[in-house]
Amino acid sequence: MNRSRQLNRVGAASLARWIVITALLAAAGLCYVYLTLQLHRLGDRKKSLETELMGLRTQNDVANVQIAALTSRSALQRRLKEGYLKMIPIAEQNIVRLAPIRPAPEENAIRPVANDQVGR
Amino acid sequence: MRWNGRTRCALVCIGFVLLFSAFSFRLVYLQLVKHDEYAGLAAEKHVYKQPIYAERGAITDANGEVLAHNVPVEIVVADTSHLNKEKVAEAVALLSRDLKIDADELWGKLGSDRHYIVLKRDVPESAADALRAKLREQNLRGIYFEHDAARLYPNGSMLCHVIGFTDFDHKGIQGVEASMDEYLRGQDGYRYIEHNRAGQEIVLYRGQERASRDGYQVHLSVDLNLQNIVENEIDAAVREYSPERATILLMRPQTGEVLAMANRPNFDLNQRSTARPEQMKNRAVIDMMEPGSTFKIVTAAAALNEKKVRPDTTIYCEKGIWNYGGRTLHDHRPYGELSVQDILVKSSNIGAAKLAISLGDQKFYEYIRRFGFGERTGVELPGEINGMIRPPQNWSKISITRIPMGHEVAVTPLQMTVAMATIANGGKLITPRVVKSITTADGKTISEFSPSVVRQVISEETAKQIGRALRGVVSDRGTAAAAAVPGFIIAGKTGTAQKVDPHGGYEKGKYIVSFTGFLPADHPEFVGLVVLDDAKTSKPELNYGGLVAGPIFARIAEKAARYLDLAPQPDLIKPTAAGRVASTSAPGH
Repeated sequence: MNRSRQLNRVGAASLARWIVITALLAAAGLCYVYLTLQLHRLGDRKKSLETELMGLRTQNDVANVQIAALTSRSALQRRLKEGYLKMIPIAEQNIVRLAPIRPAPEENAIRPVANDQVGR
Repeated sequence: MRWNGRTRCALVCIGFVLLFSAFSFRLVYLQLVKHDEYAGLAAEKHVYKQPIYAERGAITDANGEVLAHNVPVEIVVADTSHLNKEKVAEAVALLSRDLKIDADELWGKLGSDRHYIVLKRDVPESAADALRAKLREQNLRGIYFEHDAARLYPNGSMLCHVIGFTDFDHKGIQGVEASMDEYLRGQDGYRYIEHNRAGQEIVLYRGQERASRDGYQVHLSVDLNLQNIVENEIDAAVREYSPERATILLMRPQTGEVLAMANRPNFDLNQRSTARPEQMKNRAVIDMMEPGSTFKIVTAAAALNEKKVRPDTTIYCEKGIWNYGGRTLHDHRPYGELSVQDILVKSSNIGAAKLAISLGDQKFYEYIRRFGFGERTGVELPGEINGMIRPPQNWSKISITRIPMGHEVAVTPLQMTVAMATIANGGKLITPRVVKSITTADGKTISEFSPSVVRQVISEETAKQIGRALRGVVSDRGTAAAAAVPGFIIAGKTGTAQKVDPHGGYEKGKYIVSFTGFLPADHPEFVGLVVLDDAKTSKPELNYGGLVAGPIFARIAEKAARYLDLAPQPDLIKPTAAGRVASTSAPGH
């Protein structure tokens, strides 16, 4: 009786080891499946974001084209002719010209100062 | 051998070992030996190379104003193998209505068994979106959309000959679009992708990828404000004189930058398919003309530079009639003794002829070539021609008297402008430029064109002497009093040449009138050229360069000077050019 008991006994440690190994393998497999699914999902998300970005770029390009068309010289001229814009040419007497500043021949040269306001 | 349980067990094991070994060998064979072949076959089924299109670069003017750019559009294509045969009529009705295509044409296209049929190009995004939604709603398959870009020119016909255009493959055909195609085009990228059975991309299995590089931006030297002034004046000239052709050019002499270039006839870049070939020619670089008296600047400059004469040397002008080589040469007035300076001011043909004779055939020819005639200027515009300058061995006996006054030679308007710019620039011949720089979309400079001096044609002193003489042309004594601009000293030269008949000789009563000059004469800011081919004046005796082209130049110069903020000299403010035209009686030559 004792002998048969001894023969059929399963080692608890061994069983536990196998259970742990199996559990780990199962977990790894599940993780792999989960992560693969996540990758697919992220890929789809990436694709939809790319599509969205492309759509926004397209909208931006279309808007830029509209801005360029509306602000083009031809469009402005047309608006001017149609009377939507009012522009009056500047008369010569209304132009004030500032004399250009002439740089000194040598940047650090000492120059005499003429100030008529200062006098005693 | 004993046939017991152990033996049977061993045999089964061996059987299994052999079986699995066979499988293993097959596996190794397929995975290693045949790997590439089967991987290729699999890739053909699922993987394909998706192109990533580069965007063509924009073209802008000198101030960054956009002249050419892209608008996103879609190409509508059909795959008839995916079309439901019972729904073709429905598809035709929808496409015909939304894309405005003739139904018969659509039946023809969709009736074939091709896999790729372009139904319509350049469909706007909004229209494509609407059509896509309708196709989905009606469950119509086999119609697809491809992203594309159409080239758009916001200013229509303005500067059309310089900008040029592209074909439907986005390849530059004319103008800067063609000459700068290499920079504008960019580089397409690609990406290897895999599809699932529904045709959707499996992003996880994306393969090798190379990003596209968008085309560079090309910045022109042309200033659209000046171009606008020129375009308005050329339109006014066409309305007033109805010439066959007209060309106006503005150029900065020190750098060779072309500031404005306009030709008539012209065309709308956005509707180029309707333009006639005649309208598409950039006559400033591909049209030859006899320059007439404007060419006298070359003759006088050569004689002065060779020290054959001084500005005050007098030459007898034979009282307006001179027989040379058995042919008579006329002046429009009977001049006697004229100084070299006055030969230009009065535009004496006989005086110019005598100056050329003093130089001799070979030397005169050398100067013509040194001024850049007979060779391309090198401007970045396609199709530029050399003009026509015959070598002295092909000259007739009278050529030496006709070439000095701009006959028997053919030059392009740009060559003539460059020659005048050489005078304005102290005798230095500069390569004209229409492209200022090339940058990336974010402004990083790729290439910048600096002024390129070809050669010193004449000495600075000679250039000054010619410049002084040319001031006299735009005075009450000269042939172009009407080209004067209040507040500024202008140096210029008129030209009136009878039109060459393509069948030989000259066309009676048809003239090419021109004026070329620079302003201010002391420190030239720009050189201009106005050419009108067969202008129709109210009276034939008014068809002279000084009376037709001169006032046009004056109006342009006045507006350009104001735009460039050139300060006028108060002591030079006189009546306007238009007033002077009315009052002048001296014909400009």
